[in-house]
Amino acid sequence: MIAVPREDYRASLDDLRANVESMAEDVLKQLQHALDALDGDDHTLARTVIDGDDHINQQYLDLESDCVDLIALQQPVASDLRFVVASFKILTDLERIADLATNLARYALADISAIVSDVRIQEIGETAVEQVRAAVDAYVAGDADACRAIAGHDDELDTSCQTASEAVVRELIASDPDGWEIEQRLDGVSRLLLTIRDLERVGDHAVNIAARTLYMDEGSPELIY
Amino acid sequence: MSQTDTAETRTNRTESQSVSTTTGETVEETQAEWTTYEGGGETKLAVDDLDVHYGSDHALKGVSMDIPEESVTALIGPSGCGKSTFLRCLNRMNDRIRAASVDGTVTLDGENIYQDGVDLVELRKRVGMVFQSPNPFPKSIRENVSYGPRKHGDIETGLLARLTGRADPGREEALVEQSLERAALWEEVRDRLDDNALGLSGGQQQRLCIARCLAVDPDVILMDEPASALDPIATSKIEDLIEDLAEDYTVVVVTHSMQQAARVSDQTAVFLTGGELVEYDDTEKIFENPESQRVEDYISGKFG
Repeated sequence: MIAVPREDYRASLDDLRANVESMAEDVLKQLQHALDALDGDDHTLARTVIDGDDHINQQYLDLESDCVDLIALQQPVASDLRFVVASFKILTDLERIADLATNLARYALADISAIVSDVRIQEIGETAVEQVRAAVDAYVAGDADACRAIAGHDDELDTSCQTASEAVVRELIASDPDGWEIEQRLDGVSRLLLTIRDLERVGDHAVNIAARTLYMDEGSPELIY
Repeated sequence: MSQTDTAETRTNRTESQSVSTTTGETVEETQAEWTTYEGGGETKLAVDDLDVHYGSDHALKGVSMDIPEESVTALIGPSGCGKSTFLRCLNRMNDRIRAASVDGTVTLDGENIYQDGVDLVELRKRVGMVFQSPNPFPKSIRENVSYGPRKHGDIETGLLARLTGRADPGREEALVEQSLERAALWEEVRDRLDDNALGLSGGQQQRLCIARCLAVDPDVILMDEPASALDPIATSKIEDLIEDLAEDYTVVVVTHSMQQAARVSDQTAVFLTGGELVEYDDTEKIFENPESQRVEDYISGKFG
């Protein structure tokens, strides 16, 4: 056999992997900054996150275009095809995670942290960040075992989020507020419940990334649902 | 040969082997997954343990595969891998090569085409062939299509037939129209059936050759790189035609274009250097998630 390396094509695939990883790092930074903004009522940091979403969106569009070019011009097959298709899908999940980080930053501007003392948003947020981090690492390394572990851990995050949501509602009921007080507190409570839900959705996107990575690695659709 | 026999034969052939990949590493390859692949429908052609030698050259090594009816089976692989040799075994075209020797069996509808007493003219009528370069006869379009049926005696137009009343010009006209229609050429040539076929474009000539093949009412159509000499538009027409023909015929096509195999075929067989069938499976499986690392490397263009 004569080796025909298709060097430019191989380099394009390597570039795509590196660029998706780079975008993922930026998204993780956005998510962490949003959590920090929530924790410290840091409005300046929150605004940085909101402004930074444009950069993420541009990366998303550029990399999506790279995937389309690879499919149209290089006609990848087999594991190369699965890699490009998985990356294409993973880019969408990363962009959505960045959108959720922007939501969290907006909640930070509205000061929700003092509303319910019992809810540990930072703990939930750390778990969500860890899940995304693990999914991105699995994508870069093509680690099928890690993908399955991420799917397994999502149940823990879901349980934490459900417990937190119930705590918020319980506390609201227990506080037995008067009519005007309810109106005053409802906005904050809603934002807190949305924060919890958004973090739970960050975890879902991490599972999606793991699911597409498993498809990329083994051709198995077992985690895709 | 029954499907069960085939599966058992192949299971016996299932074995792990060490192969070198392009990265130089040696991997264990098991053929268990695909060797039991029986195609997507009723078997039209069953090939079992086929070996072909050209003198001392071992061109095909123990190839077994079932080709399902009314579907497109693509044969792909690098030059010299034996795919065209394999194709020619399916209607005994290799018999014409003196140095070629063929061992193993090929059954068509359960009958071994290599057994003694097989009528080769009848076999090649049932298993027609279309070649890489269009090769119409230097005759009229009409005569190109009616040539086969005349030779086989399906239509009679000679002096004796006319004198004895056996000639039926209407039947010939109908057969020519039907065959050209089936080959998606009728509309383009209906007004010039008596023109010389060599005046047609390359793509039209190739469709004429397909019409000529269809005129003798085959079961199987073998195509050896049927579009490699054509431009993209003519290629698209041939590809559309191949898919269309598979509704009624069993089509086996050798192609160097992997994209063409992916576009038109239902199942794909990958031959690699040394005359070995390395993997045979649904086309989607071959191009999305092949079992063999060597097949993966080949279709990804990592060697050729």
